Amino acid sequence: MVPVILGMTVIVFLILHLAPGDPVDLIVGPNITPEVYQSIRQKYGLDKPLIIQYFKFISHVLKGDLGKSILQQRPVSELILMKLPVTLEIGIWGLILSFAIAIPLGVTAAVKRNTFVDYSCMTAAMFGMSLPTFWFGLLLSYFFAYKMRLFPISGYGTWKHAFLPIITLGLTDAAITARIVRSSMLEVLRQDYIRTAKSKGLAQKVVIYRHALKNAMIPIVTLLGMRIGWIMGGAVMLEIVFSRPGLGRLMIDSILARDYPVVQGAMIVLTSSIILGNILADFLYAVFDPRIRYK
Amino acid sequence: MEIVRQAKIDQYSKNVFLDFARRLFKSKTACFGAIIIFIMLFCAIFAPLIAPYEYDAQKLEDMLKPPSRQHLFGTDEFGRDIFSRIIYGSRISLQVGFVAVGLSLIIGITLGALAGYYGGVVDFIISSITDIAWAFPTQLLAIAFIAALGPSLVNIMIAVALVSWSGYCRMVRGQFLSLREQEYIEAARVLCMSDMRIIFKHMMPNSLAPIIVMASLEFPKAIIVESSLSFLGLGAQPPTPSWGSILSNGKAFIGEAPWIAMFPGLMIMIVVLGFNLFGDALRDVLDPRLKN
Repeated sequence: MVPVILGMTVIVFLILHLAPGDPVDLIVGPNITPEVYQSIRQKYGLDKPLIIQYFKFISHVLKGDLGKSILQQRPVSELILMKLPVTLEIGIWGLILSFAIAIPLGVTAAVKRNTFVDYSCMTAAMFGMSLPTFWFGLLLSYFFAYKMRLFPISGYGTWKHAFLPIITLGLTDAAITARIVRSSMLEVLRQDYIRTAKSKGLAQKVVIYRHALKNAMIPIVTLLGMRIGWIMGGAVMLEIVFSRPGLGRLMIDSILARDYPVVQGAMIVLTSSIILGNILADFLYAVFDPRIRYK
Repeated sequence: MEIVRQAKIDQYSKNVFLDFARRLFKSKTACFGAIIIFIMLFCAIFAPLIAPYEYDAQKLEDMLKPPSRQHLFGTDEFGRDIFSRIIYGSRISLQVGFVAVGLSLIIGITLGALAGYYGGVVDFIISSITDIAWAFPTQLLAIAFIAALGPSLVNIMIAVALVSWSGYCRMVRGQFLSLREQEYIEAARVLCMSDMRIIFKHMMPNSLAPIIVMASLEFPKAIIVESSLSFLGLGAQPPTPSWGSILSNGKAFIGEAPWIAMFPGLMIMIVVLGFNLFGDALRDVLDPRLKN
């Protein structure tokens, strides 16, 4: 995990520092004297070699200092702390909804394999997979917010503002997750111990939920770790669709304004939350598989 | 004798291809997917002949008109025909798909082949970089690349290629790790064949099936990433008619002119569905082990 985190910080740092264009132009504009230009480069440490700049950047990040926004002249960490809860709200609830739909759907499709139920579930999942998240959000916004006026069109503050983005994210992610849950369950249902459980006369529900699903959860927990990244990307998109003042919106506005410290800080925070999600998934392995606890 | 032998090989290859095509198109999903892909290719190639108007032809007296006989999908805020813009937009999606997938294939296959064939330090370095790139969420990494390179269609192709190569690299590395222990590879080494010849003439053809399947399933992802980035304003700039940017325009008029946003999104969904269906069928025929 540590090399991955370090690698991510290197990639985020390099991507933005190797971008064409001079950051000094963004700070003060192009028409300045060479002396002012040099003093600004010294002030922001831009005159040092890239590797020194990176170590300085990392040491500040470890102290919680993500730099200062060029545009707003406010600490980046302050801006991010204001916006992060907005993004996490739809990210976390979207993930919970996705698994709450995908697990029963995938299990049902696996148990009733090659029947009408299986084909319907997988057809719905295929359509869901092909649906662009941002378009689905716009559709829901049009029908439920604009036409039926059941929810607000945009904004943040109440559960009604979060409902449509959460549904959008949950349903689109559930489509992909359901297919993988089905595959995982099919793999487990083929095992000899499942045949033994059935031949012992155990009820189908006991066989599925007590034996099969528990063993199918390991790949599903792995999927949880992988889907967190997708969910956070989706949350960023939906903030634009539903005009929510979250981290994604902050990042896009900063990219268009070339406010690199904010983009850098937002990327580090978002990727760190994904890594934390993967660590959580690692802990969940031990919950579902007792053999892992003792290793 | 040589001519007869070559003719038999050619006949066998033709039979294998026909057999593959027969098995592939036995599946209704493959046929459905192939039809959608064919229609999209047709629209992209013959866009100037199919589209009734130019994609940037403005007519302000026709602005925000609903679908009608003159404008099948309605018009936008500048009076531009949405149907024509969507037809021309198929070129953008195909361009991005082919270039981004092609670039990521070249990068991923090269690195994966080197890592899998040589092993040791080379494998360790390439695998470490691949794991880091793989851990990054695709959309966020693409956004970071666009932040660095600047919003434009070419930069989107580069960004999508740079976020997608790690999957191919891992796949090819895995294939090569098992293939390099095969006896025919050992025989090729004993015969003093060069490493490049062994990699490209013997190992690569035996790794093609999963690569083709992966590429067919990555193509629609490239279309979705491109349209997402264009929707955010980070992709094709106006007046280029990317489906994502048409959708983005439509967001501001979702109340009074919902058709501006509906039709491009529907096109994205249909095209992605077509590629997904075809890719799934291709996977079932080429390598059923990949089904799980």
